[in-house]
Amino acid sequence: MPGLADAAAPDAPRVLARPRRRLSPARLGLLGILPALLLIGVLILYPVGYAIWLSFFDKHSFFPAERWVGLGNYARLIRDAEFWDSLWKGTVYAAGTTALQLGFGLVSALLLHRAFRGRTVVRALVLFPYMIPTIVAVIVWRWLLNETFGLVDYLLVAWRLTRQPIAWLSVDHIMTSLIAMSVWQFAPFVTLSVLARLQTIPLELYEAARVDGASAWARFRFITLPQLRGVMFVVILLRGIWMFTKFDTVWLWGEGAGAGAEIRTLPIYTFMRTFTYYQAGFGAALSVIMFLMLMAATALYFRLFWRDEERA
Amino acid sequence: MRAVRARFGLACLYLGALGLSAQAILPLLWMLSTSLKPPREVLATPPTLIPAAPTLENFARLLTQTAFITYFVNSVLVSGLTVLLTMAVGAAGAYSLTRFPFPGRESIARLILCTYMFAPIMIVVPIYILARRLGIVDTHTALVLSYSSFCLPFSLWLLRAFFQSIPIELEEAAQVDGAGRPRALVYIVAPLALPGLIATSIFTFTLAWNDYIFTRILIVSDELKTLPVGVQDLFSAAVVDWGLVMAAGMLITIPALAFFMAVQRHLVAGWGTGGLKG
Repeated sequence: MPGLADAAAPDAPRVLARPRRRLSPARLGLLGILPALLLIGVLILYPVGYAIWLSFFDKHSFFPAERWVGLGNYARLIRDAEFWDSLWKGTVYAAGTTALQLGFGLVSALLLHRAFRGRTVVRALVLFPYMIPTIVAVIVWRWLLNETFGLVDYLLVAWRLTRQPIAWLSVDHIMTSLIAMSVWQFAPFVTLSVLARLQTIPLELYEAARVDGASAWARFRFITLPQLRGVMFVVILLRGIWMFTKFDTVWLWGEGAGAGAEIRTLPIYTFMRTFTYYQAGFGAALSVIMFLMLMAATALYFRLFWRDEERA
Repeated sequence: MRAVRARFGLACLYLGALGLSAQAILPLLWMLSTSLKPPREVLATPPTLIPAAPTLENFARLLTQTAFITYFVNSVLVSGLTVLLTMAVGAAGAYSLTRFPFPGRESIARLILCTYMFAPIMIVVPIYILARRLGIVDTHTALVLSYSSFCLPFSLWLLRAFFQSIPIELEEAAQVDGAGRPRALVYIVAPLALPGLIATSIFTFTLAWNDYIFTRILIVSDELKTLPVGVQDLFSAAVVDWGLVMAAGMLITIPALAFFMAVQRHLVAGWGTGGLKG
């Protein structure tokens, strides 16, 4: 594979073109994009196609034997109570975290857009939770929320906000703590996306409105919000898709927690079917269904909210 | 009256900024504090906010009694190679997409964007089976290839936007002056595309450095594991040694944050064109 990368390096033409016959621009262009297409084709498109193919088979995850079952896996999936349960939990998780990230991210962005001393530093600090590895975010919060020695429970009891320490990783609270921790980790994405857009709103709009006597609230409602519509459209879509397919945060949060079944979202269930029960065919059917549902939701979302002027 | 209101507004602003910084940074400071405490102080009630007897004991134990250094070297190796491969393939591809007209160029660009939609969980199973067939399960090659192809759609998109913003006339002028395309690339295009190249490499590095799922599935041998999986194994022990785990957390976070801080101002430029995946 390094050989391919070399062939695509910018100075490749000098090596490849013989003195008499130079490569035409079209050939050169195709040659340049070829390694990228090859990688994407072999390691993304082919696996996706293979997952679809596999979903029609009964196949063990490790052994090569496979048996054609047609739509059998899908029929089984519809009757599978665990599937519906994981779909529900995944939807609660995705919708809850996306909504809270949006609220939190939007407010933070509006705040960071104002002028104040040390703004650059705060802008960088706010991004930290998004830049640290998921495993770190998880261990830090598992430690903070530890039932016996955790700082959060200690403070809650010391300040008399609760009488008993709260068992954050128990059946009753594990989804809440997972959502809170995920919002902490991923909201900076919303903050920075909105902030980048806020900085491009022409100041003349606000000046004109001020001349016309518009109040601060009116300026926000009739200038800022409409201008943010485009970026919000994209951010909601991306965050929704990413939270619905989120694996590592959820998996690590439930790891060894005992109440892990309470946060068994669709990606977790898919993973378990494939790597715990070794049912690769059934696992593939689950990921195909996950993909189809995302496609349908995206299409619906575009139909409902897409406007032509948002073409950015 | 007006002045009082302005003052009040300003106070709220600073209070908000303080709160925002605190929620982002305090959990990480707590990790730092815990990592510096001796074992008995880690579990003390009431907890001490600042270690009473700071010690590097946890770090020493981490480096000598666990395979942390091996994981660290693996992570550096895999992330570094991923950045190199992605940048070579991505820059060549993005340059071609903006500079050479060829049939199907627009549809290729659109197809690449579509593949950005796929989440790892949807393709890890086939990738695992494919890697088995190619005989590269349990190798770093499998990881580097997976990360690179996973980063490519977004990297191409980002780099394409940057290359598009560089006027073709500049290159043409250089060529008229007698510089070949390779020289024009090195002296004209590369410096102008630098912010884009940097933004793209941060994105790629972060994805490879932070990834959990591909390593969990593709790597079996302990000596080939990268940091996230290696540290998770520390954390899954029957009795969690929190001081040790927090020390590990610190040492994984520092390179990621250092890399990020070093190139942070270039990042915001890239953010407007799409943001980071995660």
